[in-house]
This record gives sequence, structure tokens and C-alpha cells, in this order.
Amino acid sequence: MDIEFKPEEKLFREEVRDWLAQNVPPKPYPLDGEEAKAFDLAWQRKQYEGGWAGINWPVEYGGRGLGLFEQIIWFEEYARAQAPFIGRCFVGVNHGGPTLIVRGNEEQKSYHLPRILKGETVWCQGFSEPGAGSDLAGIKTHARVEGDELVVNGSKIWTSYANHADWQELLCRTDPTAERHKGLSWVICDMHSPGITIRPIRLISGEVDLNQVFYDDVRIPLKNVVGGLNNGWSVAMSTLGFERGTGFIAEQIEQSIRVEHLIERARETCGPDGRPLIKNEKIAEELATLRAQVTTLQSMTYRTISEVARTNTPGSESSLIRLFTAETSQRIARCDMELMGADMLSYTYGVNEGPDEHVHDYLRDFANTIAGGSAQIQRDIIGERVLGLPRSR
Amino acid sequence: MDLQPSETEEAIRAASEEFLRDAFPLPDSRNRPADAWAKMAEMGWFGIGLPEESGGIAVGLGAEALVFAEMGRHIAPAGAIAAAVGARIAHDAGEQALAQDIASGAQRVAIGLADYRGFVRALDVEGASLIVVTTAEGGAVHELPAGINTEDCLDLSMRQAVLRQPLGAARATVASRRPALHQQIAAAAFALGCAEAGRDMGVEYAKTREQFGKPIGSFQALKHIMADMAVRCSAARAQVMFAAMALETGRDDAPFHVVAAKRIADTAAVENGRANIQIHGGIGMTDEAHPHLVLKRAHLLSHVSPALASDLLAA
Repeated sequence: MDIEFKPEEKLFREEVRDWLAQNVPPKPYPLDGEEAKAFDLAWQRKQYEGGWAGINWPVEYGGRGLGLFEQIIWFEEYARAQAPFIGRCFVGVNHGGPTLIVRGNEEQKSYHLPRILKGETVWCQGFSEPGAGSDLAGIKTHARVEGDELVVNGSKIWTSYANHADWQELLCRTDPTAERHKGLSWVICDMHSPGITIRPIRLISGEVDLNQVFYDDVRIPLKNVVGGLNNGWSVAMSTLGFERGTGFIAEQIEQSIRVEHLIERARETCGPDGRPLIKNEKIAEELATLRAQVTTLQSMTYRTISEVARTNTPGSESSLIRLFTAETSQRIARCDMELMGADMLSYTYGVNEGPDEHVHDYLRDFANTIAGGSAQIQRDIIGERVLGLPRSR
Repeated sequence: MDLQPSETEEAIRAASEEFLRDAFPLPDSRNRPADAWAKMAEMGWFGIGLPEESGGIAVGLGAEALVFAEMGRHIAPAGAIAAAVGARIAHDAGEQALAQDIASGAQRVAIGLADYRGFVRALDVEGASLIVVTTAEGGAVHELPAGINTEDCLDLSMRQAVLRQPLGAARATVASRRPALHQQIAAAAFALGCAEAGRDMGVEYAKTREQFGKPIGSFQALKHIMADMAVRCSAARAQVMFAAMALETGRDDAPFHVVAAKRIADTAAVENGRANIQIHGGIGMTDEAHPHLVLKRAHLLSHVSPALASDLLAA
């Protein structure tokens, strides 16, 4: 074992740090609307021009093609520099683009990939449906083939930034007679097409950035099918495989920063008994455990990446890290509320800055054990694929 | 950066696992043969991180953590923690002969827990002639006073003694925090193995025990408990290995990483110990079954160099 980075990796870290120091835009960042979209795309463009776009994308597709440990360094420094959340560029850079790289044809790749990297297009996801959440193979949105077009009818839900998106990775049923996992197709849908209606969904935090999308005879060229007609399940599985990638490292560093802020606040703020909150044994114990947990998350990542670097296959441990990360984030948020006391009641619905950010994050973090595979689905996967227990269903 | 064992480290770990499987089966933990200590010494387990001139094999604390985790999985004698720490204290104090005596198993070492009420609790004390006591200020190897009364311990693999009299002469002393950190990471590695033992025992049972015509491991209510056990083990292994390497390489943040490893590994061991009893149901309540041995060992380890909130919150 060796926990030091190589000299060339340390030099690389310096390079990343310098670039970020000079290029991370000053806060505050716009939170919503067209202004936020323009901001996200401009930041993506800036990274592209600096040579940092698609850090894990192959060089031949305009990416930086970094090794695993260089990716770790990038995300660690990215989070420490408090660079903007990737926002509206997330699906294109982390989902749609990587899926096209492995499953798309030349025409699809040469059109879409450069536009994603240069910050010219916004992508959104179209997998979940009102009737198909954890049971993704149960989707009902269907597309019938008419000549050289697909005609789509149905509905998708939990689509982030649907109102800002140019393109969507749309999973739909193209053969209603086939078995559940067969007869699906992964299609590039133009979000400006006639027949698409978007209904915003207000979340418990008050924000409106998720949507339900309705398709009423939406026509999509057949050439937009990726990976072959009725082959969508396997394409979708590659997409979900990219969902985590190494990007969650930034999230882990953010959690460490959050815990350090909580500890500072607990030292500086007094509780109802007039003593600093850190003198409250229950709070001190919780903060101590959280500090241990966030540093452990980083060690878990190093250990998993070390395995991937040797074997070139993602270890089964990533599902464990994912669950631990999600639950740790919620525990941090609960501790934050404990520190706030009755001040948490002064929450302006839907506001995500200043003192409101704490309550906002507490409410929003409930999604961490729901979105992208609920904690219960994760536990099934760990039980069956890591521990080898018999299947439940 | 490579947090997976090197070829050498893996060879050492695998050899220890193989040996433990044959010579130290977990169910025998409450009744180890008289030569158990000598066997551990022969395997070189008391001097894994110890320089060769003091009788060690000098492959570092990373390898030591890997082997101690395997020992933890088999509920091997916990006194091994004191032997490794004691030999290192003796070496660092320039007492090479003592270090060799400990590493070779010629002298057995007990774990000493200095209690705030003014006594020292000696753990795994049967057959020991020496005792190791560590504090934040330093660590020392003392002679054990003669004629002490040993008594039962919650951990059925050992006997303990409550020493109200002064300890015997100090044979080696080191005035730094290193002995305490060494003991903390060694105990954390044992706790990691203990957590894994709880996980493996529960999973094994859930695959074979049937109710309602199915293995109970197919029921989500139990499967999810075991998934959490697996998460705790994975977390503990990663942090224990990182911390062991941080201490080995003398990083400034080693004290924090070590105490974090202890907190995560203790929680994993105790929580998994409890969950394992629940998975076993009625049989898990019996003396005859093995889950209680794992839980009791977990509690023991949590009191050896405990992970204090004050240490975790130190700047």
C-alpha cells in the first residue's frame, strides 16, 4: 500500500489548482432561470477552452482523457476551489455523452459530443415514469415506428432542467409485445419538438427545477435511436454505469467542508443553555463521528479506485460507497438542523442562499437516498451481488 | 496512491489467513491451546512492523493492519496487540533484548488500560509477565506484579485482572504519542476483522437457515441489515488501511486518521455484533452458538484506546 501521490500527480495538482484559482467565477452564482442556464453553459465553455472539459472522456472525442488518480485530483481541487456545480451540463457530460461514446454511431457522436463539451447544448434525462421508479423496466411510454420516424406518447418524471434542455436521453417501449426488459429503445429526443409539454414540480424545499414531461405524438427521426432498436435496456444500463463515475469525489469533499463548517459553528454558537453547542456532549459526539465518516468516504474511494486501476473493472464496492455517501450527507444535514435549533423555522420557501441554504439542503438531501436508485434498491444490490444472498424478487 | 495490498503485503495476509483458519478457528476462541502464543510469535505476528535487529520482519504497519484484521476475524488472542506495541516501545527505547524477547514470544504481554478511578485493568493477562500501558504522553512496558488475581472477562477468550497495586518496574519507556497511536490502530484492525466476522457469520447463516420455505437471507428485512453490515466493513477496512499507512509514513494528520479509523471500526464491530445475533434469532441467544463471542470481543476492543470525541474534534 502507498498513500502518497506520485511526483507527476503532485505537479498535476498544482496545475489544476492554478487554473481553478484563475478561472473559477466569483460568487454569487445565479440560481435559476435563463441566467443560470447561460452561466452553466459559459462555465462549461470556459473549461473547454482551458482544456479541462470532459476530463474522463477519451481525447479522440475532445475530452482530456485523464487517468483515474488525475480525475480524483481534479475533483478534489474542484471542490476545494468551490467551483460551480455542473448544473445543467450534468446529463450531457456525465450521462448522454459517455453513453454516445460507447454506444452511439459516428453521425451521433460527431454531431453531439463537441456541442456537449463546448457548452452549446443542455441535455436532460427521460428514464423514470410516474408508474416506473425503482422498477425501471416497467416503463410504459411507447414509440411506434412510422416510416423513418418514431411517434412517442406517454410521460416521464423527475426530469431536471427539462425546460432548459435541448436534448433528452429518452427510454421508451418500441415493442409492446416483447418481455419487460426487451423491446425498449434509448432515443435522442429533441426537446423543442412539437407535442412536448413540460409541467414543473415544486419540491419540499420549495424549488421548481424538476419536471414531468408529456409526449403527445412526438415525432423523432429513427436515426436518433442509439445502440439499435429494442436494445435500449442495455444502453440504459451503460448510462447508469456512468452516473457515478468519479464525479462523486467532489461531493465527498463538499461533505468534508460542510462538516468543518458545522464544527466551527458549534464552537462559535451558543445553545439554549447559553453554552457553546460543542460543549453539548451529544452534539460533540455526532460531529466527531461525522468527521470520521467523511474522511472514511475518501479512503473508501481511494481503495476502490486502487482496485479499478489494477483490474480495470469497477469493483462491487462502489455500491457500498454510494449508500454510505448518501446516508452520511443526510446525517450531516440532520446535525445542521440540530445546531440551528428554532432558527430553522425562519425558512423562506424555495430560497437556496444565505441562512436559508441550511434548511434548503436538509430538505433537498432527502433525495440522496431516493434518486438514481433508492437506498432500499442499493441494499438489495449489495445483498445479492456483493454478499451473494438469494434474490428477493 | 494505492490502497490495495502490494504483492508482498497480500502474500503475508494470505499466509496469515490460511494459518489462522487451521490453527485458530473462531469457535475455539474461548479455549485456545497452551502453545497458541508461541504459534503467533513463530508466524512473526508480534514484529511485523518491527526493525529486523529487534527480531521483527520490518514490513510496516500496513502489513500489520492486514494481518491483525485477519486475527480479528478469528478472535485470535487480543494480547497480540500489546505484544506488537510493547516490542516497538522496547525497540524505540533502545531495549533490543526486551524487544526480541517479546517478538519471539519468550515473554507474554498483557494489555493495560489505565482507569481514571486509579487502577489498571490488565487484559489477556493469563501467562503474561509484562504489561503495556499507553497514554497520550507516552507508552511503557512494565513487569507484571507477582501473584495477581485473575478474574472472568466479558470476552470469554481471556481472563483479566484489576491491578490496584503499583505496576512492576518499567522495562522500557517512550515519551511520545506514537505508542498510543500504534495501539489504537492495532486495536482498530482487530475490530475491523471482528466486524467482518459478524458479517460473514450472519450471511452464512442467512443462506442456509430456512423459514417459510426459503432461506431467510432472501427476505429484504434481513438482507438490508446485512447490506448495512457490509457497508460498515468496507468503511472500516478503507479507513484502517489508510490510517495505518499514514502512521507508518509519519504524516502530520496520522493522529486524526488513526482515531477516525478506531471510531469507524469500533462502531462496525459492535453494530455488526448486535445485528449478527438478531439474524441468528433464538439460536443467537445461546452460549453454544458463536455470535455472542463476536459481540463480546467487539465490546472489549472498543475499550482499548477508545476513539474519543475530543481527539476527533482536535483541530
